[in-house]
Amino acid sequence: MLNKISNHEVDRRLVLKGAAAGGLGIAGATMLAGCASDVGPLSFGVRTVDESPVRQAEALVAAYVAKTGNEVTPNFTESNAFQNNLSQYLQGTPDDAFQWMAGYRMQFFAEQGLLVDISDVWDEIGDQYSESYKIASTGLDGNQYFVPQSWYPWGLHFRKSMMAEIGLNPEDIYNWDDMMSALEELKGQGLIGLASADKGGWEAMGTFDILNARINGYQFHVDLLAGREKWTDDRVKEVFRHWEMLVPYMNTNVLDLEWDGAMQLLLQRQAGFFMNGSWFGANFLEQSQEDYDDLWIVPFPEINPDHGRDTIDAPIDGLCVAANGSNADGGKDFLKFAGDIEGVQAIIDVGIPYTSANSLQDTSAYDPFQQQQLAVMAEAKYITQFLDRDTRPDFAGPVVGPSFQEWFRDPSSVDSILESMQSQWDALPPL
Amino acid sequence: MSVETAAPSGKQVARRRRFFTRQDKITLGFFIGIPTFLHIALVWFPAIATIGLSFTYWTGIRFEDIQWAGTANYENIFFNTPIFWDAVRNNTIWILWFFFIATPLGVLLAYQIDREIRGHKLYQSAYFLPVVLSLAVTGIIWNFLLRPDGFVNGLLGLPISEAISFFGDERYNIWVIMIMASWRHIGYIMLLYLAGLKAVDGALREAATIDGATEWQTFRKVVFPAMKPVNIIVIVITIIESLRAFDMVYIIYGSSGGLPILGVLVFNNIAGEGASMKGAAYAVILFLLSIVPIITYLQQQFKDDVR
Amino acid sequence: MTTTVKVPELPKRKKKLYAQDIKDRFISIFIGIFAVVWVFPIVWTLWSSLRPYAEIRAGGVFSPPQELGVFNYTEAIDRMQLPTYFTNTVLITLPAVFLILLLGSLIAFVVTRYSFKFNVAMLLLFTAGNLLPPQLVFIPVFKLYLLLGDLVGDRRFLYDNHWGVILIHVAFQMGFATFVLSSYMKTIPKEISESAMVDGASVFTHYFRVMLPLLRPPLASLGVLMITWIYNDFFWALVLMSTDNKRPITSALGRLTGEFVTDYNLLAAGAMIAALPTLIVFFVLRKQFVGGLTLGSTKG
Repeated sequence: MLNKISNHEVDRRLVLKGAAAGGLGIAGATMLAGCASDVGPLSFGVRTVDESPVRQAEALVAAYVAKTGNEVTPNFTESNAFQNNLSQYLQGTPDDAFQWMAGYRMQFFAEQGLLVDISDVWDEIGDQYSESYKIASTGLDGNQYFVPQSWYPWGLHFRKSMMAEIGLNPEDIYNWDDMMSALEELKGQGLIGLASADKGGWEAMGTFDILNARINGYQFHVDLLAGREKWTDDRVKEVFRHWEMLVPYMNTNVLDLEWDGAMQLLLQRQAGFFMNGSWFGANFLEQSQEDYDDLWIVPFPEINPDHGRDTIDAPIDGLCVAANGSNADGGKDFLKFAGDIEGVQAIIDVGIPYTSANSLQDTSAYDPFQQQQLAVMAEAKYITQFLDRDTRPDFAGPVVGPSFQEWFRDPSSVDSILESMQSQWDALPPL
Repeated sequence: MSVETAAPSGKQVARRRRFFTRQDKITLGFFIGIPTFLHIALVWFPAIATIGLSFTYWTGIRFEDIQWAGTANYENIFFNTPIFWDAVRNNTIWILWFFFIATPLGVLLAYQIDREIRGHKLYQSAYFLPVVLSLAVTGIIWNFLLRPDGFVNGLLGLPISEAISFFGDERYNIWVIMIMASWRHIGYIMLLYLAGLKAVDGALREAATIDGATEWQTFRKVVFPAMKPVNIIVIVITIIESLRAFDMVYIIYGSSGGLPILGVLVFNNIAGEGASMKGAAYAVILFLLSIVPIITYLQQQFKDDVR
Repeated sequence: MTTTVKVPELPKRKKKLYAQDIKDRFISIFIGIFAVVWVFPIVWTLWSSLRPYAEIRAGGVFSPPQELGVFNYTEAIDRMQLPTYFTNTVLITLPAVFLILLLGSLIAFVVTRYSFKFNVAMLLLFTAGNLLPPQLVFIPVFKLYLLLGDLVGDRRFLYDNHWGVILIHVAFQMGFATFVLSSYMKTIPKEISESAMVDGASVFTHYFRVMLPLLRPPLASLGVLMITWIYNDFFWALVLMSTDNKRPITSALGRLTGEFVTDYNLLAAGAMIAALPTLIVFFVLRKQFVGGLTLGSTKG
């Protein structure tokens, strides 16, 4: 069963085709008939209470209501509470439509019968998405259960002004040695080279993912997460050996900061680089326009020439319909709207930067930071969803998270940690 | 607990009133039945169900998926889950700290306040204040003091990047949590002990003072032994609270493994996406660890009642 | 006669008293200093809630305050949807406390005023049940609520419903109420019950007219304690409800830590607001907390 997890090679060309087709400027016109579908009131679970995404969700709901006249009740829940409670939520009294993530995390719940098959929605809006997005939205049984909304890449973020002052040009950093000397330069200036956080247990997975993909390649990474390769393999140890080389350039309190704490380091110009997903751009924007304009991203450098910079973590967020909701048809109708360019445009019109998965989005309207995110994505041939979305949830959260935290406490104990991880994987109950 | 007067009269009453009217029987039925039913249905029956489930493989979602696992979950926990032993270590520290430091301090505090030393009214309020706060608020308050940009790091003059990692650093975090837990626990124990001290006969203490005993001797030789029932209550609560701890650690660390304790391990494995009956096994282990003090306590409390 | 015997003892006793007096002063000062330390965290949070976070970020926590005001509070109130959460808290706490006191007193009454063979077993059952860890019962209770909901035709019969949370609180806390009340009732003279029964009072009258009025002190204490405990519950409302705006205020605190992630002073204000009711209860009803609690007695 796990063989199906992210075993598909996502051709980056397909992704590009999807994203770059926006130049056609079809925004506004849709293939869907403009009739109001009468599916009754529905509820919409929003997986955040943060200001910017909330405004975007409200805009989407408003546009849907304006078009169809249906009643929509949005329910906002803080994201950690939502995630921790999802299993109970879906079994009990879920909203009809709700925000969730692609990857095995979605496929697992589809497998349990908690999500509604929305292949018919895909029949109608599927032409607005590239093949890779469709694959990412497909459950283990071949049907679609997910409509993508937005994505963001994981990469090295930095402030342009800081780098200019120091005299570094991160766009010139191509390989590991380049990066090490840049980090050394930053350290020499009394700055933190790489702001890092892992208090939440998941933040460090991004660094692991990219190091593993760079050093050992996409296929090994996918196989490792699916259990076809072992954590005790020398290749994994190589990853940790490189990671350990980065530790001297990190802040000393990695385990005391969550992602926002590390972001603060970048925001307050105490750190040079921040390896993270680009979503925090919205937080920079909340701070000020100047801060946002100062933000830039480059792909993590190449380590192994065999693999170059061919892989990237680019998690996709989107919508699902809950099987135990009271109005599945309503949920599907909402998803159809949200997935269609009309819904996407409503979100974009809020004015907060939004990288949509919809191929009809007019990317010429992207601001420079978004264009750069696209470019970073475009360079990659393979796309992964992030460790905790690509592997078994009873392994990612309870085992990998604490193991990485353990490693931060004592990097030299890597061998015993990896052995323990492997034996815990072996001891997992059959799915 | 005063049981001396109960026995003889109880028997007399029973002998005098050997039967109830039908209306009485119905009333008694409701009086006993409703609470008992609720209690068994929502506490005991689920507890037994969880114990049973700990021997299965299940994601908790569909009943058809329940598979027998035997002791696999337990073996997994004992032999394959290093974080379990970290949690046991942390909970043990918690028990020992509470038992040898926090609870005795609460008891001594209660004694001094009961003696009505100068300012006792104010002190009682001050020390009890943390008890009325929810553990979540407590977590937020202390997080505030100890975060990288908080009070203590500010006092030490450290910027965020070099701040002492109170919650992340293994050398400090358990002790920090202990202080936070004690902040609340001491006031709680103080309250319980004060309630018990009120019932100690004042004459006993006066007699001791007249005989020339110091306060410490009075406490040790007269009051403390007289408080035996309350002492037992306090000990049991100390142990139970340290095993059950969850709220405060959760509000700071969420479900990450920052400070593993049994309560959080149960939660991580039984709620959320990675749910499995390993969580039930953790809960049962927690239950078994708690059962020893519970039984000891019950034996002590009710041996007088079992005629 | 006696005076001559007492005189040599007096100075020795006086000296001991005097020494004790000095010790007492030290003890008082020592405890006093710690009392200040004790409340400091709360005071600091309060202080921080009155300052804008931008100042802290610019100058550090010890920067001299330029702006002091309740703006964090007004913003928190705006964003926190307080009326909703507080209403939920009241809807859960009051019925729960009422039921706990009622049902706990019923059991305590039966078990202490009448001699049934099962009395001890009942007390054991309830007391032990009170000490069980809540995590032990969570999954079956969740499933049970859903099953009952399906049976009745409304999934929200108990799950995602205030009554579901109320009932689980009652089930768990009954034991403590029973214990305290039975402990207290044992100190009420048997004669009162005997005379009531001789007068032909039914069990119902015995309880409601005779015993209940006598239970005011422990009921008041228990009530105050229970209100505090249930108000402060975090776990049950988190897991037995799926709609965030039905949750009580303390479960909503988890939401705050996620929401106000970049403005800690705002979070401080939010925490203070959430703590306010219990603080008020505490200051107003201070006496009740210890007053009516009876734990053990050596009074003959």
